[in-house]
Amino acid sequence: MTRVPLQKKSALTVILSFISFLVIIAASSELVARTPWVEKISPYRSVGNYDYQFEIKWFRLQDYVKQNGGVDVIILGSSMVNTGIDPDVMAEAFFEQTGVKLRIFNFGVEGLTVAPNSVIAGILVERYQPALLIYVTEMREFVAGSGLDYETRFLADPWLRYERGDFNLSGWAVDHSAALQHYLPYQNWMRADFLETQPNYLQRMRVTTASGYELDSKIGQNIDATPDPNNPDDAENFAAYQNFQIDSSRLNNLQSILDLRQTGETTLLVVEMPVHPTFYAFVGGEAVHQQFQQTLTAFVEANGGSFLPAETCNNIPPEGRSNRWHLNYLGAPIFSKCLGQQLSILADQQNTDFVHVNMGSSK
Amino acid sequence: MSITSLAFVVFCVVAILVYRFLPSSYRTGWLFAASIGFLLTWAWNLAAILLVVATVNFTLGRWLGVATNRRRFFLWTGIGFNVLVLVALKYNGFYVSALTSLLERMGVQTGDGVLKLLLPVGLSFITVQMISYLVDIHNKILKPEPRWLDFALYVVYFPKLLSGPVERARTILPKFKQPSPLDAAAVEKNAWLIVVGLVRKLILADTLLSIIPADIFLHPELYVGQDLALYLLAYTFVIYNDFAGYTSIVRGVSGFFGIELTNNFKLPYFSRSFTEFWDRWHVSLSHWLRDYIFFPVSRALAKKIPNRENIVHLLVPPIVTMLVSGMWHGLGWNFLVWGGLHGLYLIFERLTMLRGPRRLPDEWPKWRQVFSALVVFGLAALAWIPFRMDLVTGWHFLARMLSPHAWTLPHLWLVQAVSTGIRGVTSWREFAFPDMRVLLVLIPALLLDWKQYRRKSETFFMDWPAWAKGLFLALVVLAIRLLSFGETSAPFVYQGF
Repeated sequence: MTRVPLQKKSALTVILSFISFLVIIAASSELVARTPWVEKISPYRSVGNYDYQFEIKWFRLQDYVKQNGGVDVIILGSSMVNTGIDPDVMAEAFFEQTGVKLRIFNFGVEGLTVAPNSVIAGILVERYQPALLIYVTEMREFVAGSGLDYETRFLADPWLRYERGDFNLSGWAVDHSAALQHYLPYQNWMRADFLETQPNYLQRMRVTTASGYELDSKIGQNIDATPDPNNPDDAENFAAYQNFQIDSSRLNNLQSILDLRQTGETTLLVVEMPVHPTFYAFVGGEAVHQQFQQTLTAFVEANGGSFLPAETCNNIPPEGRSNRWHLNYLGAPIFSKCLGQQLSILADQQNTDFVHVNMGSSK
Repeated sequence: MSITSLAFVVFCVVAILVYRFLPSSYRTGWLFAASIGFLLTWAWNLAAILLVVATVNFTLGRWLGVATNRRRFFLWTGIGFNVLVLVALKYNGFYVSALTSLLERMGVQTGDGVLKLLLPVGLSFITVQMISYLVDIHNKILKPEPRWLDFALYVVYFPKLLSGPVERARTILPKFKQPSPLDAAAVEKNAWLIVVGLVRKLILADTLLSIIPADIFLHPELYVGQDLALYLLAYTFVIYNDFAGYTSIVRGVSGFFGIELTNNFKLPYFSRSFTEFWDRWHVSLSHWLRDYIFFPVSRALAKKIPNRENIVHLLVPPIVTMLVSGMWHGLGWNFLVWGGLHGLYLIFERLTMLRGPRRLPDEWPKWRQVFSALVVFGLAALAWIPFRMDLVTGWHFLARMLSPHAWTLPHLWLVQAVSTGIRGVTSWREFAFPDMRVLLVLIPALLLDWKQYRRKSETFFMDWPAWAKGLFLALVVLAIRLLSFGETSAPFVYQGF
C-alpha cells in the first residue's frame, strides 16, 4: 500500500472540509429558511431580479394562487396597469353582471414594455393557465427602442433566463433555494442607496394588495393643457413620439402573446389604456391614434384575439389621473368597473365565464 | 482583464501550468508572452508603448554600462525620457485641451478624441522602476541587463504590471533567471496570499466602498458630522484593503512562478510613528522614495551645509520626498497637500525626537504605543481628505466634520413614531443613526489585521487545522457569492495611478 505524503493529505483534508462545510452551511440555511419562524420575521422574498416590482408581483401571485386555489384572469402590462386597474373592483363589476366571481390578478410592472411582457406572459400562462390573459397596452410601447435598455437588462437576469429554459446554475439556485429567496430582498444591503430604496420597496410591498393592485394617490397637474413643443417639460415626449410608427418587432412581441392561446385554454384580450386625450398631441394628433387603433385591431383579430379600444372606457375625469398616462385612486376604480362590465359582454359574446377549470400550478 | 475576474483565474492557471512544465530556458520567453497577452486584453497600443519604453531604457542602460564619459548625460537623458513619457501620457489633461484649442485657432481641426492619449495602466509604477534601473547602473551598483528579453519582462511582468509593487531590477532580474522552487509549503502560502487578497478586495474594500455615498466627497454639506467621520473612517479602510488586497493577490500569483514580489503593506494602521507608517505603507514605493529622493537630497544638502545640526537637514528631505510622492500620485494641488501633510507629520516627529534619547517604538510603554498608534491613524485618515477630493470640497468636509453643530443625536422620537405607525420614512437616514453597515464590515477587517499583527504572519491560516481552513474557505466563497448579487465590484484604486 502506498502512503500519501503528509502535505498532500493535508491539502486533501482542506478540500474535503471545504466542500463538506459548503454543503452543511447550504443545507442548514435551507432548513432554517423553510421554517415558519423565518417567514414570520422576514416575509419578503426575491429572485434577485433587477426590477423589484416584478418580484413583488411574482410572489404575490404565488400567494394569491395558494390562497384562492388558482387564478382566472391575469392582467399584464406596465405601471399603467399596476396603478390603473383594481382587480377586486373589476371582479365585483363582473359579478354584478354575471353572478360569477372571477379571481383576477394585476401583474402590471413599471417600465416593462411589450417585449419583456411577451416573455413574462409565456411564463405566467405556462405556470397558471389562466382562462383569460388581458394585455393592456398603449401607443408608446410600439415605438422602436422604447424601454430598450430596461428590457435588455431585465431579460438578461439569470433567474429569468432559467425560467425561459436557458439553464444556468445561478438561476437554478435562486429558483430552488428558499434561503437565497429570503436573502435576496436585502441583496443590495451594502449599496449606498439601500437606505433610501429599501423603505420604498417595503412600503410598496405593503401597499400592494393581495390581487396585485397598487394605489396611487397623486393627482396630475395641468394635464388638460395641450402639450407645447417649446415647453422643455414636453420637448422630450415630442422628440420621442413624433413621426409615430409601429415597430414591426414590437408587433412580433404582441403576436407571441397572442399565440399563447394555442398552448392551452387561455383566451387573449388586448386592451388599450385610456390615456388623457392631450397625450395624442405628442404622436401627431387623433388621426395618428386612430390609424394605430385600426392597425392594432386588425392585427389582434387576425391573430385570434379581441381588442378593446381606449374609448370604450374613457370616462375618467382629470382628477382621476396622476399624469397623462397613469390613473390614480379615483380613476382606477372607474376604469376597473368599466373593464369588468366589458368583460361580461365579451363573456356573453364568447359564451364563456372565464373561470379557470383546473387549479393553477403554485410552484 | 481584471485580476478578480474568472478569466484571470483561467489565464493564471494556464500560464502557471505551462511555465512549470517548460524547460527553464523557455520560461522567460513564456512569461514574456503571457504578460504581453495580458497587456493585449487592456489595449494593443499599451503593449506597444511599454515595449518602446523597455527598449529605450534597455539601450540607455547598455550605453551607461560601457560609457566612460558622458555618463551623467545618459542618465539624465534616461530620466528625462521616462518623466516625459509619464507627463505626456498620464498628465495630458494639463495640456491636451490647450493644444487642441491652439491647433484649432491655427485652422487645424482635431476632431473628437484625436488628441486623447492613452494612459497605459501602471505607467507611474514603470517610470520609477526605469529611473532606479538607470540610477543604479550609473552608481555602479547594478550591471546593465545584457538580454533584452529579460529586461522587457521586467517591464511588462503581468503580476506587477497594473499597480506594482515597485521592484528594483537588481532584486527581481535574478529571480526571473533563477526562480524559487515551488514546494508544497510555497504552494500553500501563495494560495493563502491570494485568498487573503480576495477577502481584502472583494469582501472588505468593495463592500465598504459601496456603502459610502458617492456624493459625500462632492457635497459634504448634505451629511451630518458623524456621517462624514464614519464614512471617512470607511474610506481609510477601503484604500488600504483595496491596495493591500491587490498586492496580496499578485504576490500569490507571482509566487506560483517562483518569483517573490515585495510585501507592500505591513499592517500600516498599527504604526506608532509616521516613520514606521512609511515603512509599512506602500513599502516598495516609500523605500524607492527614500533611496532615490530622500537620501540624494540629504547628501546634496550635506555638501552645501556640512553642519548636520542645521535645521534645514531636518526639514527639507522629508518635505521634498513627500511632495514628490504626492506628485507621483497625480498632478493636482490636492495630492501636493496630501504629500505635504505627510511631510509635515514626519518633520514634527523628527523635531520631537530631538528631545531626549531616541528609543524605538517597541521600547515605549504600552500606553504610549497605543496612544501613538491612534494619533498616527487619525492623522493619516485626515490626510486622505485631500487625497480623495479637491481642496475646496476637502476643506468644507473637514470643517463640517469637526463642527459640533453639524453633529446630531439619533432621532429616537422618530423610531417611536414609525414603530407605532404614526408616520413612515422614505429613507433610513432620517433616523440619524450611524451607518451600522460600516461597523459590520470594519469588525472583520480589524479582526484580520489584528490576527496578522499578533501572529506576525500574513498567512497565519497556515497554522490552522485542516477543518478550520476548510470552514474559513467555505465562508469566504459564500460571502463573495452573496456579495456578488449586489453588484459592488469596483476597479482597484491604485490602478488609476
